[in-house]
Amino acid sequence: MRIITTQATVDPAICTGCRTCEKVCPTESIKIGDDKKAHVNKETCSGCGNCESRCPVYAIKLEPLPEQKVIGVDWTKAPKQEVIDLCKKAHFHPEAVICYCTGTRAREIAASILLGAGTPEEISRQTGVRTGCTVECIQPILRLLQAAGVDPGKAPGWQWYGLTPTNWDLSDEIVTNPDHKKFYFQADRELMDRVTDAKEGGK
Amino acid sequence: MAQQFEKALSPIPPRESVYGVTPSCVTDRAADLPGMVFLKTKDLFPEMPEVFWPPENPQEMDRVTREALKDVDMSKIKPGDSVNLLASHHGWTILGGGPYTQMLKTLKDVITERTGCTDIRLRAGVGLRFRETEEYIKRFGLDEYFGKGKARGIAPIDEGIPIETEIGTLYGLKRAYDATWIVHTHNSDVREIHFHRHVDRAVKPFSMSYARIESRSTYHQNLGPRGANFTARSIFNSEFVQSKWAFACFFVPTPAGVMGVTANNDLYALNREVTKINMSTYGKMMTLLGKLDSAIAVLDFCCPVPYVFCGGVIYANFCSANIDLLDLDQPLPSYTWYTESYYDEDEKPLLPETPPMNPAIKACVVNYAWVGYPSVFWAKHTPTIIVGEDHAKLFREDSQNIEFPDYAKEIVPDLNTAMQHAYEMAKTDKVILFDGAAGGINCSESLAEELMAKAPAVSKEVDSTLMPKWLKQRGLA
Repeated sequence: MRIITTQATVDPAICTGCRTCEKVCPTESIKIGDDKKAHVNKETCSGCGNCESRCPVYAIKLEPLPEQKVIGVDWTKAPKQEVIDLCKKAHFHPEAVICYCTGTRAREIAASILLGAGTPEEISRQTGVRTGCTVECIQPILRLLQAAGVDPGKAPGWQWYGLTPTNWDLSDEIVTNPDHKKFYFQADRELMDRVTDAKEGGK
Repeated sequence: MAQQFEKALSPIPPRESVYGVTPSCVTDRAADLPGMVFLKTKDLFPEMPEVFWPPENPQEMDRVTREALKDVDMSKIKPGDSVNLLASHHGWTILGGGPYTQMLKTLKDVITERTGCTDIRLRAGVGLRFRETEEYIKRFGLDEYFGKGKARGIAPIDEGIPIETEIGTLYGLKRAYDATWIVHTHNSDVREIHFHRHVDRAVKPFSMSYARIESRSTYHQNLGPRGANFTARSIFNSEFVQSKWAFACFFVPTPAGVMGVTANNDLYALNREVTKINMSTYGKMMTLLGKLDSAIAVLDFCCPVPYVFCGGVIYANFCSANIDLLDLDQPLPSYTWYTESYYDEDEKPLLPETPPMNPAIKACVVNYAWVGYPSVFWAKHTPTIIVGEDHAKLFREDSQNIEFPDYAKEIVPDLNTAMQHAYEMAKTDKVILFDGAAGGINCSESLAEELMAKAPAVSKEVDSTLMPKWLKQRGLA
């Protein structure tokens, strides 16, 4: 679930149509139109501020909404066991928080995928995940898509580039190298596995 | 006879920034509250290394930077080459930002003097506040010093480049690496020890300030709470980064003040040097703060909630001070993003051994702090009072903190009211101010007395028991 309190607005007198905003928007909510100016889709803009903070000519501002909006996916609308299995396959406890800004839990992302979302951008539009800092939770989203067997293709801009290694992907050579003892790879993997398999605590 | 303490130091004025309230909204500072004193780190730990003063003096900072660079080999850099000085935002929060600025200016000058290279750029990375270093570049005149278009802020959502590493493909920022050579300029304080656990601390920016979101997410979500910083090592060790590597130059603060500057062609040698310094300095301050049973924390500085600091120690470290962050046998800090993700929807830890946020923090008063870092977890786990509706509005309209005011205990109109409520809530008169004080801590007299009483035993414990363990765990014994 994501509460939305602001949205982007563009000053067309300043906008140069450089497309930076398009490339950094996690929900594909800002586009350059035929008039060579940026236009915001108010239906899907979550007010993350990426466009505002990367616009090279300061043409974009975040404005408070008169009334806040709430978006999210009700994870119980997807088959419960499939949600749990998908989370665990991607090495997440279903209740694990994967977006620290919005508090989105792994099961909501899993449900979004099981209900048809096929790209990080689509998942962000539905759940609001990755619309806070827009940085830290890209890998869990890509991991859950991969675990579901969904190929998200390529990002439309610089939104994301690709999956990166996890602890479970590290080679024995890396894990057992005596110089790497201080990274506690094996112990951390066991810890993360225990979290994944922990009893569900919430409602 | 009771010890006499100095009056609390005045913090730097609030900064004009898109991440903070308008400075005029910060009408009262916690250092001016009755009974607040300044406790010098050197009084707590007389054995702390000597520091130079005043570090704000540009000539003195220029001198120590030149001295540190004396033995650095710059022969790779040729007159027609280009050099990116890679910098990070935090350096500008220490001692008002002047010392770090001067180190960067001197670096530029010395490289030109020694190599004849004139195409020297500044690429200043950020945390999660993408305009932050742009603000510093303007404030400190670095755009003029480096020349038109040569000083730029870089953010993790900017265009990236793949970097092939020993663990697979990771991603850096294209603009960080768009020069013939890179010089890694940073600060050595422990700062986010809950994340890096002081394993390759000096290498960390290669997976943060200079990295794309994919690499940062790998660090915080994929490798584990102690393995995280291997992301940085993998990127730094890559053929691509090594092909551009020139040297590192670090500003070296301690809880007692600024020791100076250190520079080295060998980043791992520099890392070993600062690791030992930090364990014997920050290690003592953090261990001491972990001995407190009860305190009110007041945040009063131009940084996000976890990064406000005192005596060199950031608030996030105080929140984990109930465990030994330097002890690698302790898997989870009380606060880290791995820990935060391991709470269920009822805010109960999924694993019973998860350490709670430092229970000594009985109340947290947010008098002045910035947004731009996800801080809701703090408000959920420590009783929080926000001073001023302007502050609360700032958080509500920040995409990383929309629910922060909802989890605060209350929003009150002024600092005095907040303190009255905090005293009632906490049932203690011990107060610690995270207001950026350098060389010591602003705190209540009662807390100063407790810290003074406990410091000698902490010093002995660190020197005789903890340091040997910390060093051994990192292969440095």
